Amino acid sequence: MSMNKESSRPSPRPRWVVYALSALIALALGIYAFRLLPEPAPGSRDSGLVLAVSLPDVDGHPQSLSQWRGRLLVVNFWATWCAPCREEMPMFVRAQAAHGAKGLQFVGIAVDDAVKVRQFAKEIGLNYPALIGGYGAMEMSKTLGNSVMALPFTIVIGPKGNVVLTQLGPVREAQLERLVADFL
Amino acid sequence: MPKPAPVERLLHGGRRARASVACALALVGIALLVLEIGPARAQIKLLPPEQAFRFSARALDARTIEANFTVADGYYLYRDKLRFSAATPAVTVGTFELPAGKVKEDQFFGKVETYRDRLVVRLPLENATAGQAVTVRADSQGCADVGVCYPPNIQSVTVTVPQPGAPSGPLIDASPPKKRWFN
Repeated sequence: MSMNKESSRPSPRPRWVVYALSALIALALGIYAFRLLPEPAPGSRDSGLVLAVSLPDVDGHPQSLSQWRGRLLVVNFWATWCAPCREEMPMFVRAQAAHGAKGLQFVGIAVDDAVKVRQFAKEIGLNYPALIGGYGAMEMSKTLGNSVMALPFTIVIGPKGNVVLTQLGPVREAQLERLVADFL
Repeated sequence: MPKPAPVERLLHGGRRARASVACALALVGIALLVLEIGPARAQIKLLPPEQAFRFSARALDARTIEANFTVADGYYLYRDKLRFSAATPAVTVGTFELPAGKVKEDQFFGKVETYRDRLVVRLPLENATAGQAVTVRADSQGCADVGVCYPPNIQSVTVTVPQPGAPSGPLIDASPPKKRWFN
């Protein structure tokens, strides 16, 4: 009898279950949305940080990146011990020769010492400035978005001073051509 | 009247039964999301060097340290850049032999040997005493197949030299893997 009575009566709404479920679903959606969020957009980084950099060149003369303000500035962090860096640099040399007059300017920041840099620059006929950053340049690249501090790392600043590309890993020739077409 | 089958009980059961089914399903869904079974991010995710090249070590006895490198999939270490030393006063690491690596023809560096997956090296320890804490330092350099290289990296592990006849010490990680809930 008592069982029949209980089953016919509408059971009280288990409010705590509804609340707990809602909270869990909201949490799951939150985690999901967080995972879908893109990495900080390259354009959101302040190019002022890059343009404020001043480092010695292979002859020891300080060079400020701000002297190339207004050009399509490709700042490439590299090292002689980094094979993928050495691999992409001849392409940079070609691009500098082809588009330099239009306003394309490469600057290499070497996480290395001047002797090795000078030797490699000679080997590949480097036609753009190589600045010596040493291991401090690695920390500098971290503030610019190179969170794992690996090389090559490239940051491109457009003629209007905005960051238009931040890339960890080799830059492809097609990417460079696209940038030249868009900004010069 | 025969007792209804469990599935039937759930389908035609009361509000409470359905609520518990919904709760269980929601929990499974949450577990799947948190365990990252779902669309992955398009960007290449690179590991920080200490996670790509995980160094660990243990003392086998008063005169031997076993050094280990666990190399993440898609990463490799250069054999000729690998160094092991003791960072404890008076204690030194003697001459050791590195196993042969996988030969890679590099456009710039010529023939280089690399290590992938796992590397185990026995290091002879000199002037260490039982019970002493000895810090072993590993200098390494490696790259990822996606086309990036990491600068030379230093990792250290402190192990306790076991008493004579005692079993070898536990394997100690230089940087234990972190739990990563959100990515």
